Amino acid sequence: MKPRKDLLTIGSLSDEDIHTILDSAKAMKDIFTKSVKKVPALKGKSVLTLFYEPSTRTRSSFEVAAHRLSADVTTFTVGTSSVVKGESVHDTIDTLMSMKMDYIIVRHKNSGIPAVIARHCKAAVINAGDGAHAHPSQAFLDAFTIREKFGTVAGRRVVIIGDILHSRVARSTCCILQRLGAEVAYMGPGSLVPPREHCGVPVFRDWDEVFSWKPHVIYLLRVQNERIDTPFFPAADYHRAFGVTEERLKIIDDCDAAIMHPGPVNRGVEICDAAMDYRNCLVCNQVENGIAARMSILYHLTPQTQNHE
Amino acid sequence: MSNIGSEDLNNKLNAWAEHIHAGVLPGESLALVGLIRHGDVLARRLAEKLQRAGVSVHCGALDISLYRDDWDLQANKMPLHSSYLPFSTDGLKVILIDDVIHTGRTVRAALNALFEYGRPASVELHCLVDRCGRQLPIQPDYTVYPTPMEREVSVHLQEIDGYDDIEY
Amino acid sequence: MNKTYLTNVTLTDGSRRDVCLGGSASGCGDSPWPGIKLREPIRCTPAGEMSIPNGARHIDAAGKLLMPALFDLHAKVEIAGCSKRESVMRTGQAAQQGGVWGMLVMPTPGFCFDNSDKLDSFRDMVLHRSAAEMLPAGCISIGMQGEQQAPYNTLMARGVSILSDAGRMPHSLLMLHRAMKYAASTGYTFAMAGDVPELTRNTYMHPGTTSYRLGLHGTPACAEEIGLETIIRLAKDAGAKLHVQTVSTAGGVDIIRRAKAAGCSVTAEVALHHLLFTHEAVGDYDTTFKTLPPLRDRADCEALIAGVKDGTIDCIVSDHTPCIPFAKKQDFITAPQGMVMLDTMLPAIYTHLVKPGLLSWVDVVRACCVNPLHVIAPESMEDDEEGISRGVPLLLFDPTVCSSVTADTLPCGTLNSPFLGQELCGAVTLPI
Repeated sequence: MKPRKDLLTIGSLSDEDIHTILDSAKAMKDIFTKSVKKVPALKGKSVLTLFYEPSTRTRSSFEVAAHRLSADVTTFTVGTSSVVKGESVHDTIDTLMSMKMDYIIVRHKNSGIPAVIARHCKAAVINAGDGAHAHPSQAFLDAFTIREKFGTVAGRRVVIIGDILHSRVARSTCCILQRLGAEVAYMGPGSLVPPREHCGVPVFRDWDEVFSWKPHVIYLLRVQNERIDTPFFPAADYHRAFGVTEERLKIIDDCDAAIMHPGPVNRGVEICDAAMDYRNCLVCNQVENGIAARMSILYHLTPQTQNHE
Repeated sequence: MSNIGSEDLNNKLNAWAEHIHAGVLPGESLALVGLIRHGDVLARRLAEKLQRAGVSVHCGALDISLYRDDWDLQANKMPLHSSYLPFSTDGLKVILIDDVIHTGRTVRAALNALFEYGRPASVELHCLVDRCGRQLPIQPDYTVYPTPMEREVSVHLQEIDGYDDIEY
Repeated sequence: MNKTYLTNVTLTDGSRRDVCLGGSASGCGDSPWPGIKLREPIRCTPAGEMSIPNGARHIDAAGKLLMPALFDLHAKVEIAGCSKRESVMRTGQAAQQGGVWGMLVMPTPGFCFDNSDKLDSFRDMVLHRSAAEMLPAGCISIGMQGEQQAPYNTLMARGVSILSDAGRMPHSLLMLHRAMKYAASTGYTFAMAGDVPELTRNTYMHPGTTSYRLGLHGTPACAEEIGLETIIRLAKDAGAKLHVQTVSTAGGVDIIRRAKAAGCSVTAEVALHHLLFTHEAVGDYDTTFKTLPPLRDRADCEALIAGVKDGTIDCIVSDHTPCIPFAKKQDFITAPQGMVMLDTMLPAIYTHLVKPGLLSWVDVVRACCVNPLHVIAPESMEDDEEGISRGVPLLLFDPTVCSSVTADTLPCGTLNSPFLGQELCGAVTLPI
């Protein structure tokens, strides 16, 4: 693929870029089966994880990926309390620039922050989730998981269920799946699903419509109680109305559909206990593939830091 | 300018396989490890010939991209391929197979990659073409087509390119 | 007073005239703009018929347009990181370049017009520093906090006729209702924008395809429209005059149209950028296009232009808001709202509205020169004290001169102009 400094959104990638990163993810995953699970590709490179929002999973996934490529990882701890109001991201960027980092992996609650950082520093910036905007590494691991399960993404029907409105996962994953030739639809509480004319994706009202569409993948989103100030829906109803209940699991089993979830899972809300043990539940595959996909992303980006001036 | 076609190449491969066969000592187990892409194809062809001659031989493929020393200099990064070594190299006689040897840097990377799969008893290097221009103290143990000076070489193989052809 | 002769000049009604500016006031009976008190007497003859005395100042104005300079009802002067005097000076220069001779200055934290001292020092600065007239709009509440009413009688004694908390809806409708009742008898006009703060909190742009793509929460049009209904009803009940600021939605235009038909004492303005741009201009988080209210859909732009044409919307304003480059370089959510518009006001109106045939020059004079003065001071056109009573200057506009907007051509000094890097047509000569 052509040299590319940052990974901010799926939309910014060419088809060739998407295929290259996915293909390489497969090779990365094969490294895990070796007794030595580490390669020297990024030896001597420094990776910084800059998470303004807590996320143990994504951060450790990136850290493991960087370690397996032999990069040095630094964690920049941004306690929520220490982010002084009015203090701009620019001040942090200046600090980062002087640290001569090669890769910066950033998560922020504001949409668009990684792009601001990317514009102002030479390091390769990877968006690990910004507001409700984008989460491209999640998109790659999801596409990779579907491809691994079904052989190909093209022609698969994937329904994404839950809080679409606030979900960067829905946006990025939908985008990559469509680019790879899959059909995507949304379903969720009316207050959390954008109208079709805004998102350009078919929107189902309930599970009956979902099942009659015969989806290959049921992709559940986490219900983000912590983000929602004024409630968007009656919480007590969520599982019954939009979750995978045991009855629905039977139907899913009958159609041989797969279940995915970006984690962490709220058992009894998005998904019942039994569904986590369902034979086509790919949640654990997603976690493992996350490391491979992130290794591939790190490998294929080209920081501008080695151009000594 | 030499141009070698399919038949010519096949004869040379037969001779190559015989050379490998002759070099196997009693009690030694042999593994051919080809470097992706082209070296692994040659390794598979050689292994087939050896197996037909009754020699038991392991066959594997290595993608050495993650071990290269010029990561910073690569403008376009190609998709990675999966290495395939479904055996431990402990105690084996390993022969690295590559299509063209030039600077020696690929072989350096290959040696590093190889040693993550075990501790071979010995490692040899066999190449189809030696195009000279070495930058590291690495020399092949066997070369099918040596060239007297540094020059461009292109290798095409049926399994990848649809036809066999070597130009140098 | 010295006379200036303009020959072959085009007037806003499209006629070609020879014009004599200045001289004795007796010859001003035939002003082409009867609704406006002009600063200088004007005498017109058909083109080619005026005799020009030897030695008189003569401008061959063929191809150029003569019109009254604009009055802007909605500008902010404060530039962060600049002294107040510098802010006033730069904004004055910007206005002059854009063909704007005077403006109503909205209160901002640095220019919080809630007592007589602040008004006096501001008047002083304007007198000594500004190339353009600047009238302050008084605060509705002290410190614009929405709690305690500002001293309206004191403000009025300093010439304030419009009250505004700069688009901020007071937390308490009761406070506003009482303020309106109190001020109604004094003849004040309340300048407010429709909003329901609870519905627009943590929202950053118009809800639509762009907001969805960028993951930004949308500001629903209904919040502005409910707020509009609210303030119109409050003002009607209190008997106060209301000037609706920065209408941005088609629904808002309908509400004002109905209110006017029902005989409410309401006038309305639209910001120029709401006529020109849609939410799609935000593109990939372009903070220049972050405004309050947000840029809306194409259909809203069209309804607003129709509203200007049929008189539902009385005025076009700049909503000039200087934001320093650093502030706009931040991410979209953190960056402040607003764009600078005064510097390019008349060329932008010409290039994007008059030239494509969306508005006529007559519409422009009505919405940018006549109506704003009526909103600000219906009767002060006659009184003879200071400020706008001196009358409106004329300007010459050359539509054939096109130039691109660069950092050097923006006198206000901040770079948050939507036209930066683009070409605009028209050059303003003010004063002639």
